[in-house]
Amino acid sequence: MILNDIEIMFGGQAGDGSLTTGDLIAGVFKRMGLEVYTYKDFPSRIRGGHTNYVIRAGERPNYGMADAVDGLVAFDLEAVQAHVDELRPGGFVVFDSSSESVPEQLRRGDVTWYDVPLEKIAKEEMGLGLVRNTISLGVLAKLIGMDPAIVRHDVTGVYQRKGEKVLDLNIRAIEAGEAYVEKHFGEWPSGYALEARPDGDRLLMMGNDAIAYGALVAGCRFMAGYPITPATDVLEWMAKHLPKYGGVALQAEDELAAINMVLGAAFTGVRSMTATSGPGQALMTEAIGLAGVLEIPVVVVECARTGPSTGMPTKTEQSNLNHLIFSGHGEIPRVVLAPGTVEDSFYLTARAFDIAEKYQCPVFVLTEQALCQSKATLPLLDVSKVRVDRGELVTEPVVFGEYERFALTANGVSPRTIPGVEGGMHLAAGSEHSPAGVITENSRNRTRMMDKRLGKLVSMKADLPEAIEHGDPAAEIAIFGYGSNRGPIVEALDRLGRQGVPVRFFEFRTLWPFPEAEVAAFAAGAKHIFVVENNQSGQLERLIRYVTGPLDRMHLVNKYDGKPFRPIEIIEAVERRALLRGPGDSPGAGRQAVRVKR
Amino acid sequence: MAVMSPKEFATATPSWWCAGCGDYGVLSALKQALAELGKQPKDVAFVSGIGCSGKISGYLHSYAFHGVHGRALPVATAVKLANHDLTVIAAGGDGDGYAIGAGHFLHAVRRNPNVTYIVMDNQTYGLTKGQSSPTSATGYVTGTSPQGNPDAPINGLAVALAAGGSFLARGFSAHPKKLVDLIKIAVEHDGFSIVEVMSPCVTYNKINTYAWFKENTYYVDETAGYDAGNRSAAFNALLAEGKIPLGVLYRDARPTLESLMRLPAAPLISLDLQAHKSDFVAMQNAYR
Repeated sequence: MILNDIEIMFGGQAGDGSLTTGDLIAGVFKRMGLEVYTYKDFPSRIRGGHTNYVIRAGERPNYGMADAVDGLVAFDLEAVQAHVDELRPGGFVVFDSSSESVPEQLRRGDVTWYDVPLEKIAKEEMGLGLVRNTISLGVLAKLIGMDPAIVRHDVTGVYQRKGEKVLDLNIRAIEAGEAYVEKHFGEWPSGYALEARPDGDRLLMMGNDAIAYGALVAGCRFMAGYPITPATDVLEWMAKHLPKYGGVALQAEDELAAINMVLGAAFTGVRSMTATSGPGQALMTEAIGLAGVLEIPVVVVECARTGPSTGMPTKTEQSNLNHLIFSGHGEIPRVVLAPGTVEDSFYLTARAFDIAEKYQCPVFVLTEQALCQSKATLPLLDVSKVRVDRGELVTEPVVFGEYERFALTANGVSPRTIPGVEGGMHLAAGSEHSPAGVITENSRNRTRMMDKRLGKLVSMKADLPEAIEHGDPAAEIAIFGYGSNRGPIVEALDRLGRQGVPVRFFEFRTLWPFPEAEVAAFAAGAKHIFVVENNQSGQLERLIRYVTGPLDRMHLVNKYDGKPFRPIEIIEAVERRALLRGPGDSPGAGRQAVRVKR
Repeated sequence: MAVMSPKEFATATPSWWCAGCGDYGVLSALKQALAELGKQPKDVAFVSGIGCSGKISGYLHSYAFHGVHGRALPVATAVKLANHDLTVIAAGGDGDGYAIGAGHFLHAVRRNPNVTYIVMDNQTYGLTKGQSSPTSATGYVTGTSPQGNPDAPINGLAVALAAGGSFLARGFSAHPKKLVDLIKIAVEHDGFSIVEVMSPCVTYNKINTYAWFKENTYYVDETAGYDAGNRSAAFNALLAEGKIPLGVLYRDARPTLESLMRLPAAPLISLDLQAHKSDFVAMQNAYR
């Protein structure tokens, strides 16, 4: 009997309601006191196309997928075809056998098959095909031992507002699912059992919601954006909540307008942000350069997806790191922060506003689809930890003629007046300008102003979020990574540790300015260095190599098929390369990519 | 209302425009209009784009923003939303507004923020040395159109009228008194006010000269019975062949962006960012 660690996958066609049911299950697991992570794998279309929703629940905070799927709820044959290989031996499949059957060659013998005519029951007993989702929840609940009281509580929570009739229908659907299992599979236990624990003071929140919430708490009162997957949730959240606190969230005509609006509002003195993804980020590049030279604080959330061009808009990737760090003509100070959890998405976004305003430059919050559109359980967020440090903002009159908007200072930061402040009038020009803001092409001035602006990358160092160093500091195997890979890396590290293989992990939270000294110190003494990232070319690995120089035992563990890592993929890479186990090992081969292909 | 001198709006920076450039007339009319309206430089936000026209923000003593090419209107819209106590003016050329920034032009018209937009139209790209612009005549010969410009010129005001523009005016930089009046009425209009100014390029445009404009323009308010509240009349004037109409062509009371977004009475910049902490804590209950 496997207790309290399970990964459930719902598979079907987009728009068939499996997302609602997935969310419901995540909520039930959370209220049963388990730690939850969800992952949405859906197509870039509204109706039709295979979609799946993964819900992982366990006793440790996991923030990532498991090695394999324990239970697959397949609403059609396509879901079985797509995912039967991902099942763990000993796992199970609930298959909607209303109109299709699973061919024998697909029926793996090492998993248990529960054929349930979900749609048929829904139509014949409930009078509505749509409730097959809720019936499947009843089936699943019975098979794995979900707390029936919590299941009913959560179903009530979701369907109550749709009226008594709809609620009653869904409660009966749960009962029908449970009854079907009792009647037909009473003798076939699934092998899984869940045990409820106290829920405690915890939240179940999506990464994008945590980002938006962090921005609100940090005093962001202006957001302009343009709808783009997987960033749209942030604009929708802000549009819902900002007006209640006097703020403005606006849908612009394109990303060019959105970022220029953010500059306009920030220039005027309001904490401002936008959220976008790769294609929108590309369009914003010119204006972000302007923010750098005008020394305007802006926060730009990048919810990365696969590129280039349209790529796979709903799939995860970490291929925009180079873009955030290097994009744009000319050179500007910029900061790239990357949260590794939903919890840190809140805190780092809030800090982004302080850093942006204190150093008067653009700050990116970089996340990926596998984190920003995933839900996870987390402790309550501590609003009192969020300071609002407005830096050198000047709201009292200054003496015109003496005041210089771009004054040369020791740390490169100049007192910043905003429109309405007496005496602080100036020209903010994207053209090179003097400390007073007058446009000039004088060579000496150019050099001084460039040094002033870029010097902020050095002076800000102490204010940047530090990396988290996980694991045994003496371990000879070191892993570098960030963002959504934190979850699978930490799990791999724990499991390797339990096998007697100590591993340590450097979780970047600031990716730019690059923490060179910390990276060098962490790399020192490691016999094997693994860089885990979701892109083809090893963007992070190259940045690390700039610091460490060529190393024989640096291994790129990368994946770029649109899916997040499972911990076993990282464990196997470590075993192959560092422990000389498994096929494909070639000692001393130097830079070799361990490409994980499915 | 304190009477100001236009000198209050002067900067110490010498202008980079050519002698005789139409943009001088726009700048001096703008200073005069702001002075007559009793505006204070500290309360004026002036946003410009790129090109000869875009340089104007450097010559008006104010909170001036000289941004990237074509994006003055999104910046100006957000400045107004962030602090609606400010007088917000955007300016740019025909290229900045009707070519690279044409998308934003349409959407600013739709949104109707209380912002004034001055389009300095010289029918050419001056700063890059005389290429065709979106208002150049078909057949206009330039370095990038040696066989004659193949494109039809844009009628910016007619486009704005079709998109729901609430205030449309056109002036001529050689008619300073009229232009001052137009800018004053535009700034006082509650909504998005466009003042297109015929602003000749004396260096590159040898066709649309001062003399040509004097010959080819007329003021609608000198036309008996012209009603600036009549949208069809405005269309007729704007689309008619022949002389170019000047003056207030159309005005209409439409809700502004600020009113439709239900902005609080105090400007956004005055919000207390330390307030609402207990509300923020309570928001987490929705995620329990």
